Amino acid sequence: MDREPHSGRAAESGPGPTGRNRPAVVVLCRPGNLHCLRELGAGMEEEGVPFRTEDATGGSAVELAFAAAQASNLDVGVGVDDAGSVCVHHAKLPPDMPALAGRAADARTLGHNAARLVVGIPFKDAPVRTGQ
Amino acid sequence: MSLVVGVDIGNSTTEACAAEIGEDGQVTYLSAALGRTSGVKGTTANVPGVVEVVRGALAAAGRDPADVQAVLVNEATPVISGLAMETITETIITESTMIGHNPDTPGGVGLGVGTTVAFAELPGCAPDDAVICVAGAGTDFEDVAAGINAATARGVRVAGAVVRADDANLIVNRLREPIPVVDEVTLVDRVPLGMPAAVEVAEQGRTIRTLSNSYGIATVFGLDPDQTRLIAPVARALVGNRSAVVVRTPAGDITDRRIAAGGLTLIGERAKRSVDMDAGAEEIMETLRRVQPLVDADGEPGTHVGGMLARVRDTMADLTAMPRDAVRIQDVLAVDTFVPQRVTGGLAGEFALENAVALAAMVRTSKGPMELLAARLREALGTEVLIGGVEADMALLGALTTPGTAKPVAILDLGGGSTDAAVAMEDAEVRSVHLAGAGDLVTSLIDSELGLESRELAEEIKKFPLAKAESFFHIRMEDGTVRFFDEPLPAEAFARVVVLADAGMQPIRTRHGVEKIRQVRRSAKRRVFVTNALRALEQVAPAGDIRRIGFLVVLGGAALDFEIPDMIAEAVSEFGIVSGTGNVRGCEGPRNAVATGLVARHASARATCAAVRCG
Ligand SMILES: Nc1ncnc2c1ncn2[C@@H]1O[C@H](COP(=O)(O)OP(=O)(O)O)[C@@H](O)[C@H]1O
Ligand SMILES: [Mg+2]
Repeated sequence: MDREPHSGRAAESGPGPTGRNRPAVVVLCRPGNLHCLRELGAGMEEEGVPFRTEDATGGSAVELAFAAAQASNLDVGVGVDDAGSVCVHHAKLPPDMPALAGRAADARTLGHNAARLVVGIPFKDAPVRTGQ
Repeated sequence: MSLVVGVDIGNSTTEACAAEIGEDGQVTYLSAALGRTSGVKGTTANVPGVVEVVRGALAAAGRDPADVQAVLVNEATPVISGLAMETITETIITESTMIGHNPDTPGGVGLGVGTTVAFAELPGCAPDDAVICVAGAGTDFEDVAAGINAATARGVRVAGAVVRADDANLIVNRLREPIPVVDEVTLVDRVPLGMPAAVEVAEQGRTIRTLSNSYGIATVFGLDPDQTRLIAPVARALVGNRSAVVVRTPAGDITDRRIAAGGLTLIGERAKRSVDMDAGAEEIMETLRRVQPLVDADGEPGTHVGGMLARVRDTMADLTAMPRDAVRIQDVLAVDTFVPQRVTGGLAGEFALENAVALAAMVRTSKGPMELLAARLREALGTEVLIGGVEADMALLGALTTPGTAKPVAILDLGGGSTDAAVAMEDAEVRSVHLAGAGDLVTSLIDSELGLESRELAEEIKKFPLAKAESFFHIRMEDGTVRFFDEPLPAEAFARVVVLADAGMQPIRTRHGVEKIRQVRRSAKRRVFVTNALRALEQVAPAGDIRRIGFLVVLGGAALDFEIPDMIAEAVSEFGIVSGTGNVRGCEGPRNAVATGLVARHASARATCAAVRCG
């Protein structure tokens, strides 16, 4: 095989008409939350749904997710704020009523579910954690 | 003028009808009410339920309870019904030989064959070894992919993988050479290592071809005919899956066993016959037909059915202070069913559909403590309480208030625990039967066949239509039409099948599609109510000839169902009789027939002519 391992799966991030016009879930994330981003991406990749990541300047997870959903031509966005809150939104939902909300620790499941929102299959449950 | 309240104590529901009776016997119906029956029908435990509905009816009529002249109660005889299920097949995997679950997202495509090896042991594999990599909990997809790539680079032929997490595609996307990967195997630690195994993943939208075929498995593992015979149930269990794993362990075995479900003895007036439960419903019902009329029934001790019949008998004996062996089972209804059961020895929580037979049974006695109940009611209500006529007669009288009906008339009363029928010809006396199996059995079948483990949800599925939530703002109903919502639907409902209950939309958390749930629901209704309607009518019709019944009026709670009355109408259409859901007093629908009949009878006893008017 001549292709590089794991390239070309997720839509490339960054500007440029090709990157932005591709159908993709948009993830708006405050810079630095690398682990959370990796897990979100893993969830969406496992479901086979393309996504792209953009840096956010500020705002709550809900606001970021709604802005991301507006920017996505699949109508689905994910927002991650500084406090580690993660939100999944759909462009057609009211701004203050996100589809799903959770913590960075649930990022993998939220990634799966953002993708499932696109695909149209029921959401996965977050793994049950003991303690907080 | 005198104010009376007719009260019908049913197995599940107590109904009341308040009316004013004039001197000439003219009846003015004022109101109706209903509530849950408290305790077993025909016992003093009914008092609170009766008091409540009597108050309810009077309140609805705006009348003072102190003005009530008499409360008329039906001759309520205790009916106990029981339900049991006997599973007659069982799938057991010894030494774990297959993983037959269907993860949503397996990875790669194709068939891989090799020896199972733990992920951590991959570096120890020799070049040219054909292996299946088994990765347990806590291994990250990047590490698994890197490990497999490294092994492949050394010449190890990694042919497939079995993993714990939901990351099959993440792994495959990072491999230099894609392989089939089955993920979400919960008990991956129990996959035997060092054994020949095959992993197969089909393309999206397709199902596996090799491991669901006995000869496919035989080819992969080089099996002889005897070994192939042993592995055949594995292939059968994997049919329809998109992915599968089969591990060949030396002593591994999967058996598809028939369980001895015990026998049922049916004692008729003239004959007595035994039938094995595992012969199936048809055979059991045929045996019943041969011994009819049934006098008693017995189940083999130690089986579910034996236990259920004994329980029914004990309860009735306790209730009526009858000796236990004087209590007789009057009817049974056997229904073929299937139950999803966890496969013993499965590795991913697999379920297999096992065959089962459900049996409903009932006893009824005429020895209810009716006088005692009436006395208690007198105390509680502070009014005269009269015990009215036989239930079947009252139901017929009430049914005849349905517009468009006349004798010869038959009623079918579809209740919770029993299906009752009665017929009144122009002159002849009333004949009636009480059959085991009704609404509660339908609910049980839906519950167990869909593996819901919730009677409440099964009851909702029985009563209300289904839909699929296709977006946050619209659902597609089971008939294909679409309904829109202004407010977004809850996330739990997203992309799920939902039942549109009165209390709101309720998601059904199973993998069954709309079509499957609908088919189970309709078939459960048919197996119970169509079977019982025909059985009941044959028994009450003059000379067993259903054609001689002019009008059939369907009554009872289950007659409110959105499809049962149509199923019955369709089943009796060949007999050329008029059949339909009752509309008691032209306004109560299939409810309140007995309560209305009690009032009508009381009135006609006071005068010869009773005009019926809906109030
Ligand atoms: N709207 C409805 N649609 C379908 N079934 C119903 C409805 N309402 C009640 N039932 C069913 O009717 C049965 C009870 O019938 P009912 O006539 O109240 O019983 P009984 O005569 O034994 O007191 C239950 O199985 C219940 O599920
Ligand atoms: Mg997967």
